[in-house]
Amino acid sequence: MGEDVVLVIVVATALAFDFTNGFHDTANAIATSVSTRAMSPRTAVAMSAVLNFVGAFISLKVAATVASGIVDAGAITTTVVFAGLIGAIAWNLATWWFGLPSSSSHALIGGVVGAAFVSDGPGAIFGDGVIEKVLVPGIVAPLLAFTVAALAILVIYRMVRNLRPGPVTRGYRLGQIVSASMFSLAHGTNDAQKTMGIITLALIAHGDLPADGFDVPVWVIVSSAAAIALGTYMGGWRIIRTMGSRIIKMDPAQGFAAQGAGAAVVLTATHLGFPLSTTHTISGAVMGAGAAKRLSAVRWGLAGNIALAWVLTLPAAAAIGGVVFTVSSVFGGGALGPVIVSVAVLAAIAWIFARRLASDRRLAVAEG
Amino acid sequence: MIAAIDVGRLFELVWASMLAGVAVAITFSVVIIGVARAEECRRNRRGGSATAYAALSAVAGVLFLGGVAFAISVIVTK
Repeated sequence: MGEDVVLVIVVATALAFDFTNGFHDTANAIATSVSTRAMSPRTAVAMSAVLNFVGAFISLKVAATVASGIVDAGAITTTVVFAGLIGAIAWNLATWWFGLPSSSSHALIGGVVGAAFVSDGPGAIFGDGVIEKVLVPGIVAPLLAFTVAALAILVIYRMVRNLRPGPVTRGYRLGQIVSASMFSLAHGTNDAQKTMGIITLALIAHGDLPADGFDVPVWVIVSSAAAIALGTYMGGWRIIRTMGSRIIKMDPAQGFAAQGAGAAVVLTATHLGFPLSTTHTISGAVMGAGAAKRLSAVRWGLAGNIALAWVLTLPAAAAIGGVVFTVSSVFGGGALGPVIVSVAVLAAIAWIFARRLASDRRLAVAEG
Repeated sequence: MIAAIDVGRLFELVWASMLAGVAVAITFSVVIIGVARAEECRRNRRGGSATAYAALSAVAGVLFLGGVAFAISVIVTK
């Protein structure tokens, strides 16, 4: 009975993480398109949600692993995964609250690293794996995307400088719709698989699936696809505003250069087996497209805050994951710990959102 | 730390990404230039030039769509 409850909690938490992943990463695909009016906000989130949903079905090479190569597989228990997911969800919500784009994948890795560290000690963490899969990609992605987007916008401005603005604006807006679609499809394929992998891992640990030669159940695929699509459709508007108009004020050519360069970097990296964070890539590309036009066009203070959020992602999610694992373990190895933590987390989220709604209502009344 | 970084693969990622990013920008810009110039030529009753620009735009459009198809294949087969 206790194991069944833990399984249900882990599946629900994984789907909640999937939802926040879609919610948090909507900006990667559509922020530049919305800010340059290539698409209306509602059309953009709807298109992105549909393509995230479709993307989840495209590739089903689901690996029943989490933080593979970073955390010792022997340390991964359902409680560790649960604590890691809570750490990632908490960090996603915190960065969304401040409108800062950050990597959901790094948050998940951080959460699991923290929980595994507390459960099995430092020997459970592979330092080389952290460097290879988190630190190096975290530095390479924004710098490379910055450079590629800067080159792209310089080439674009040079090529179209003698044309009338009308066809140029319309043309690059159209191009942005294509690149936004590619980003959404790639996101659904890549990120929904992580949730499918986590749920599959929990089902194997529970004895519902064999460890070798398993097929991912249809309900796992459909629920993961639906959660990421629903999250995308809800739209993390604070991050969309940051990415689309607060880092730089962009024109359609810059939007296309940023998205095209971002897509080129992410897909080239995927092709070479060097996965990079889409969030780091597109953020770097937006800054590059702005800085190449004029260095002062980029709000460097905001860019610094974003970089700080990236640096803090792994340790902060790890700290939360570690605390959640400790609290869960206080109540023994059964279901009581995860149940109490889940109720506490839900109550905290409800309280925060209720306060936010009340504050928004007060503002609306004050503005008449 | 150096052992954890595959410098060769990293270098390949850097040049291939730059090539791909700039190629996308150039190809799509040629589509826009072709369409815009073809429109101008038609307005000025220069049919031959309009056709040439339209053909240039179509070729660049096919190349761009080829890139999109390759990107989709990367997404599907990764």
